Amino acid sequence: MRRPGWLLAVPAWVWLLVFFVAPVLQVLWFSFGYKPGIFGTHANDVLSFDRYAEAVTPTFFATFQNTLWVGIAGTLLCLVIALPVAYWMAAKVPARHRGVLLALVLVPYWTNFLIRTIGWQIILSPEGALSHLGQALGFGPLDLLYTRPAVLLGVVYNYLPLMILPLYVAFDRVDPALREASKDLGADRLRTLFGVTLPLAQPGIIAGIVLVFIPLMGDYITPTVLGGARGMMVGQLVASQFQTAQNWALGAAMAVLLILVIAATLGIAALLAWLVTLPFRARRRLRLGEA
Amino acid sequence: MGTRRRAASDVALTVWGVVVFAFLFAPIIVVVISSFNSGRLLVAWQGFSLEPFAALVSKPAIRDSVIVSLQTGAISAVVASLLGMLAGIALARRPGRWAAWFIGLLLLVSVTPEIVDAVALLPWLVFLGQDLGMPVFSDGIVRLVIGHSLFSTAVVSYIVRARLIGLDARLEEASADLYAPPARTFLRITLPLVAPAVLAGALLSFTLSLDNTVIAAFVQVSGSTPWPVYVLSALRSGLRPEIAAVSTIMLILSLGALAVVWLVLRRSGDASNQIARTLAGG
Amino acid sequence: MNGQPEIRILASRAAAPRIAAGISRRRFLELAAAVGATSALAACTPTSRPQVQATGGPVESELSIYSWGDYDAPEVLDAFTASLGAAITMDAFNSNEEMIAKLTASKGTSGYDIVVPTGVFIPGMAENGLLTRLNLDLIPNIEHMDPAFLRQAWDPQNDYSICKAWGTTGFVYDKTVISRELKTWSDFIDAAKNEASGKTSVLDDPAEITGIYFWANGIDWNTTDPAQLDAAEKFAVEELAPHISNFDSYPGGEAIPQASQVLMQVWNGDARIGILNSPDPDRWQWVLGSPATELWMDNWAIAAGAPHPEAAHAFINYVLTPENALAELDYIGYHTGAAGIEDAARDAELEMLDLVFFTPEQIATMNNGEVTEAQARIVDIWNKAKAAAGA
Repeated sequence: MRRPGWLLAVPAWVWLLVFFVAPVLQVLWFSFGYKPGIFGTHANDVLSFDRYAEAVTPTFFATFQNTLWVGIAGTLLCLVIALPVAYWMAAKVPARHRGVLLALVLVPYWTNFLIRTIGWQIILSPEGALSHLGQALGFGPLDLLYTRPAVLLGVVYNYLPLMILPLYVAFDRVDPALREASKDLGADRLRTLFGVTLPLAQPGIIAGIVLVFIPLMGDYITPTVLGGARGMMVGQLVASQFQTAQNWALGAAMAVLLILVIAATLGIAALLAWLVTLPFRARRRLRLGEA
Repeated sequence: MGTRRRAASDVALTVWGVVVFAFLFAPIIVVVISSFNSGRLLVAWQGFSLEPFAALVSKPAIRDSVIVSLQTGAISAVVASLLGMLAGIALARRPGRWAAWFIGLLLLVSVTPEIVDAVALLPWLVFLGQDLGMPVFSDGIVRLVIGHSLFSTAVVSYIVRARLIGLDARLEEASADLYAPPARTFLRITLPLVAPAVLAGALLSFTLSLDNTVIAAFVQVSGSTPWPVYVLSALRSGLRPEIAAVSTIMLILSLGALAVVWLVLRRSGDASNQIARTLAGG
Repeated sequence: MNGQPEIRILASRAAAPRIAAGISRRRFLELAAAVGATSALAACTPTSRPQVQATGGPVESELSIYSWGDYDAPEVLDAFTASLGAAITMDAFNSNEEMIAKLTASKGTSGYDIVVPTGVFIPGMAENGLLTRLNLDLIPNIEHMDPAFLRQAWDPQNDYSICKAWGTTGFVYDKTVISRELKTWSDFIDAAKNEASGKTSVLDDPAEITGIYFWANGIDWNTTDPAQLDAAEKFAVEELAPHISNFDSYPGGEAIPQASQVLMQVWNGDARIGILNSPDPDRWQWVLGSPATELWMDNWAIAAGAPHPEAAHAFINYVLTPENALAELDYIGYHTGAAGIEDAARDAELEMLDLVFFTPEQIATMNNGEVTEAQARIVDIWNKAKAAAGA
């Protein structure tokens, strides 16, 4: 009599299967093929891992390395910048102002990604106001545009709200009473921060890192607008295989490789984090055991 | 002594917060200011003028791309809301073993880099449209809606599910106890309960669709070019202040939609924090 | 050039006497291209979908053009819309490879009507079903074209294309930064490694990058010799790429007026646009690539699956009138292949005509490109150069 629960979800299931899962599987399928001749895009009659071998040749591999560098550096920078802000918003700002600040964080978050990045292109342009200001102060024209640091700046900027929001939500969930208790028990502010607040906010930190790292690694727009030739990232490499080189097999292999690199990096990071906290967990467990 | 030290670090935190917020708004403000540039190049300021805003009306290419963006936004919002609403309700009220898989799928959709989605979707849509002979998939607007709806469906599903889980299931049970058929319960109890979340989801989908650039760039058909793709191609030939002007207008539009979301959620009783959680996509 | 192996030729009886009349290798390649192109075109089978032939019916209300950037005079486009009613949507690509990739990927659903490929790609495009045949009855203004620019080797009957513009490749440099005089591609390379390092841009087009190496070293840039291609790759990836800061096919649009780079490889018409639009034109010096450079010809063509074939034909016909040809030349800075256009341009006293019209000696240094079996390798080298520049 009661219809099964999943029936309602069927339309969404079908939609996502047909328009997300199937195309991605097709890309995986392409990656084992090859490019037949000048005007062909792909052929799959001969399957091999050759495209993957091609994708890790030194020149392309260097792009993967750069992307990883920008990805890790960008994520860590976002984390370092966002932590104090989120903490400040959740714990220090009076409650009546929090709504406004939240709204202010959300504005860049929901502003068009491309437009935000173009804003930086304007700021960093050698013919722009900032450059003229620098020249008036005696520096040369601003040379930051179309370099890898410009891309790093761009990605940190673009993904910062994505780091602030989960951190804020996590800090917000931490009961202030717990912090007070910690201070009552004699812990100083730093100890409270590292011993109580941060560990409790851990889910938010993890969410933030994952939410930032993954799209950052695949970012296409920021390096296109700010990187010129120098700040190339894998997203552009994949795009150019599909848009210009017309080598879908190679592009597919690069896309799959990108996903594998992302997964591997997160896996390694998780492993490291687990290893690092192992001794702490052991200590804590011991202490409780004695009570 | 303790009070003064607390004040020092608090002041430092406040200063940092202000600096970061300034950082967050700098490019946006620059773009808005550049909308009033009377010069030919976006980068070089020449003088104050309202002329760039006229481009929305005078330049057919810009006007058409904005119209395409708005159309696609509206349609994909409807599609994503419908799919996401049903899925969210199912997840919240009738989770079974399938729920874990579905949430996994939603997660995958949310975190897959857009470039992978884009290069996957174009060959697939061409395959559906040409090789399988379904011309509907060769229509520009259809393609854009499909591309935009993926992430939006996931977002709406999260939001509806989060909202329903937070609400008491007993209302629907009571309705069933009172002999209302399941369809009636659904229409008169469940739907109104999720309505604010669905509305929020719809508006968020609309905003996301306006923003979608990479997938749109790959799947779009000439003649139905959305606004961000127009900007992307203008990047090559030289950015003009009219681009900034129209972007400012689109920004105001997005913010308007978000303000409505905020109000709707506020009205139905959410605190600011919950709204933030919602708007951060769960 | 290199010692040539014996070539054995299997040819039709009609062509045999000409071949037997003792022709050089280069002419053979041209002939082979022509023969191959003709037979390819003749054997061209349509794609799974029927080709829509324009028949002179009413002009549709829209027209979509996929062309090189900034490649048409806005007043000509507006006048076309005003007189024939079709609103024009323009889209731009950076290289033929990009355009072909787009058309192939969309299999006729791209939505484009007119595309503007460079001549040497046309046989392959036609063979792969990317182009529709032109209905020349609808383009009577073809009579205003200089016959020297019609019936090219890649499309001897103008079945698929009509010349739009021809041009060449060179470079532009900022005289305030580079004080010495640059004259050749070797000078370009040298400046890129020294004064202009990190402020150099090259065209975002595969053959143009390997071209720099071949032209500078006196090698035929259509070579398929693996050793020469290896050398070109080494040059592009290891020597040149580290100094490149942008791959830009249209510096005239932004980079020259904004002075974002110091040394830029550029097509002649685009250089003219850039210098004319620059706030400080005297700081830029155009140099025709030497001792050898490219000769390319872009053509009007109609894409397979074009949704508005009538408007497409009407547009091509419209643009070929002498007045419009001159207006186009004035804006884009390229010779449009129209008869008597050089005299008309000089009479109208248009600016910077030394970047548009060339002397016979200069033209002798310009070489047509070809789509050889090295094409995939050249695209690969370009990809690697881009990756290396980003490193």
